[in-house]
Amino acid sequence: MPELPELNPVVHGKLRLAVLSLLATADEAEFTWLRAQTGSTDGNLGAQLMKLEEAGYVAVEKKFVQRKPQTLYRMTEAGRQALTEYVQALRQLLGGTMFSGQ
Amino acid sequence: MDAMETQELKDRLALIEQMMKAGRRSTESWGWTFLLWGLAYYVAIGWSALGATYAWPVTMVATCVLMGVFLVRRDRKPNTTMNRAVVGVWIALGVTMMTLMPALAISGRFADAHGSIAVVCALVGMANGASGIVLKWRLQIASACVWWVASITACFGSEMLALVVFMVAIFFCQIVFGVACMMAEAREARAMKDGAHA
Repeated sequence: MPELPELNPVVHGKLRLAVLSLLATADEAEFTWLRAQTGSTDGNLGAQLMKLEEAGYVAVEKKFVQRKPQTLYRMTEAGRQALTEYVQALRQLLGGTMFSGQ
Repeated sequence: MDAMETQELKDRLALIEQMMKAGRRSTESWGWTFLLWGLAYYVAIGWSALGATYAWPVTMVATCVLMGVFLVRRDRKPNTTMNRAVVGVWIALGVTMMTLMPALAISGRFADAHGSIAVVCALVGMANGASGIVLKWRLQIASACVWWVASITACFGSEMLALVVFMVAIFFCQIVFGVACMMAEAREARAMKDGAHA
């Protein structure tokens, strides 16, 4: 019997997974946009983004636009790889039932 | 793996899909442009029917300027690969229309109403079809089909029939479609406020 894969605990967190999925479709996204899409609080989102940054899955850029501070987040190559592997592991664990519409 | 764990994993997968759909929503925030251009076409058709020679170029340029003003003033959305692909299709359509139509008019080859309506309908249908396929959006693909049918129909019958077909296509594919997009966007904005995603 083939061994079941382990799920990456950094990616598995619900809010972190939501953020990585959002960033997978966006070149870069503002903190406020991520907050609106996930419906999370500033504190929680900031903490989860820091964990993703520490894992090297997300890169952050802070700049000023028209004198207003703007924090932009971008998914790194390692983040993209981690999300891809996570989805593959999920598929393997679920044995394809999710994708056959069951 | 028990049923609870399986459900949790399915929830995770559903969450990924839900979040990735966020990129798809970007086109629905363009609903107002469909409405704007639909109204602009009607103004140009009506104005030119009154005998104004420059009705089309003036209306089209004015609409471009108006759209530019709205775009500068609205909130910035994140740039997604999908968004860029869709915007690219519409920019290409805009450039094609803004160069081909004046060239046809200046060269005097715009005289055939059947041909010009068929070309416009086919081009707009192509842009709707391309972005509908990219976004996997059935409503927009249906809109493209209406434009293509209008394009073919415009080749036959009288000039009046071609014009009526054009106006009907504008009504359904610009006005109705634009209003539907705006309503969908408003619904999503309300849903976003009401419930937390994560």
